Amino acid sequence: MTTTSTKQVPRLDEMTRSELIQYLKDTVKPEEGLIPSYIFSHPKVYELEMEKIFLRDWLFVAHKSEIPNKGDFVTREMGGQSVIVTHGADGEIHVLLNVCTHRGMKLCRMDNGNQKNFTCPYHGFNFKNTGDLIGIPFQKVVYGDTMDKSKMGLKEIRHAVYADLIFATLDADAVSLDEFLGDIKWYLDLAFNRAEMEVVGLPQKWNVDGTWKLGSDNTISDSYHTLVSHGSIAKLGLVPTGDYSKYGYQIYTGNGHGLNLGMPNPDGFAFPESLIDEYKERLSKDQYDILKQMKNMIVCVSPNIMILISSMDLKGQKISQTSLRIWKPTGPDSMEISSWVLVEKNATEEWKRLSEQAFTLTFGASGIFEQDDTENFTDITQNSKSPYHLQENIVFNYTMGMHQDQVEDFVGPGIVYKDKFNEANSRAFFRNWLDQITAE
Amino acid sequence: MHKNIILQYEIEQWLYKESELLDELNFDGWYELLSEEISYTMPLRINQMEESKPDYSEATLLFDDDSTTLKLRIDRLKTDMAWAELPPSRTRRNVSNVKIKEMSENEVTVHSNLLLYRSRSTDTTADLISGQRKDVLRKENGDWKLVSRWFLADQTSLGTRNLAIFV
Ligand code: FES
Ligand SMILES: [Fe+2]
Repeated sequence: MTTTSTKQVPRLDEMTRSELIQYLKDTVKPEEGLIPSYIFSHPKVYELEMEKIFLRDWLFVAHKSEIPNKGDFVTREMGGQSVIVTHGADGEIHVLLNVCTHRGMKLCRMDNGNQKNFTCPYHGFNFKNTGDLIGIPFQKVVYGDTMDKSKMGLKEIRHAVYADLIFATLDADAVSLDEFLGDIKWYLDLAFNRAEMEVVGLPQKWNVDGTWKLGSDNTISDSYHTLVSHGSIAKLGLVPTGDYSKYGYQIYTGNGHGLNLGMPNPDGFAFPESLIDEYKERLSKDQYDILKQMKNMIVCVSPNIMILISSMDLKGQKISQTSLRIWKPTGPDSMEISSWVLVEKNATEEWKRLSEQAFTLTFGASGIFEQDDTENFTDITQNSKSPYHLQENIVFNYTMGMHQDQVEDFVGPGIVYKDKFNEANSRAFFRNWLDQITAE
Repeated sequence: MHKNIILQYEIEQWLYKESELLDELNFDGWYELLSEEISYTMPLRINQMEESKPDYSEATLLFDDDSTTLKLRIDRLKTDMAWAELPPSRTRRNVSNVKIKEMSENEVTVHSNLLLYRSRSTDTTADLISGQRKDVLRKENGDWKLVSRWFLADQTSLGTRNLAIFV
């Protein structure tokens, strides 16, 4: 006896582009708080994300303090493409495609350094750190007069800077960085403009078998998971028990950017007292008032930046830490995390040292907060790969806080909810994501 | 010579014992091997040209611990909410190429290689953390205690989901 079931698994890989887009629009329902499982690992969804988000958006490539001197450079990746971020001989920042214009060799294979020129390992074309091609071995012999070096410089990627953060976009037609960031700038000021900030060392990097989106989703709205995912930290007495992570605001500023602001800080001011004048001078009065009360702040700048200010008691001292990370997609179901730690340039050496140590202990690759998050990212992503999730259209619930009203009297910009236990920001994040990947 | 062979043997046995304790998740037993003055650090491996060696940065540390923070990590692992290691990863620490670099009456500097295999959950691909250890051991009340560990991994981007384990 044979039985034939009528069950079908939607074949996303066999759909045309417009059928796929329609399928996404039909199944992803951010406003209803319904997010289907398949989006967290399906290769067809990933293809769209790469094309419509990572080749379009402004992406973080470096902090200005990483390349303070002429000749300094770092290599970074954006949209699957290696780029060299240089402080050129002309004093300008350049973001250069790390692809030799002769025949495509990766020009620079180092993480950082200081160089006037980059010589291609394949045939030796030589480029200035501004991107100009200045030397071709045996040029006269091999090209005669036919080669115009001025047309063969490295491709320059459009970049712009806000709060010393260097962003670049692979889309020459993208809106300005200013417009892209919009009101999130008010909060970026708190993180990176409150004082002169500097990156310590280089980013730590590690790899997780989880999708980049879960990182951003967790960043933008999930203070609720702290109680359980990071429950061990409360058990150790490093943070208060109970609902401490609830207090503060959840704020959405548009274009997929938003934050959770933890306040007030029952433990008092966690920034260097010696810098109060600098903070006051650089921030508006409203911003400074927020800084004074801040316990923590977790900002998501779409698509994949997380910025964190967090404070704790370490070795009997109140200390805050500031970090920035990217959830870099490396495949439909995997990402590389890179994490930078920043300190106030004018703080004492002792304060900087303790702040770095607090970061390493809590949010670096070995961080006691960090570790437990990666379990969630990995297992959700791996679960979502089963075709069963597509067959049944398994959806996850993002309805938390739908009964809440916005608050109108908060001093900063954005759509603001009192208390952070809310999934409003995730709903907004996935709406923005859906609009981006389904754009014609 | 005779004395050196005995010392080499003692130090190797100490390193094997340490590995065994960690592989068996006996973190309290491991903690006993540490001096109160322990410095436990892991710099960042970076890609550099030959002439710009060293190819690591001590400005960025992936572990930056002393006896207080190591104790904190161990206490955390003992809570029933340390999800990163629940259930625990299976680890095998293979220590080899043990070389005593310096010695005095009661202190040795020893370099070794570590190949740490980590199997997490139902993963069929294994995480390998390979690198170099530079340790200082000191005799305290007749026992060798770890005064300093410096571990440099060979990967610039770690092929493991976190460092919820010790190196
Ligand atoms: S590919 Fe670079 S010189 Fe030929
Ligand atoms: Fe978390």
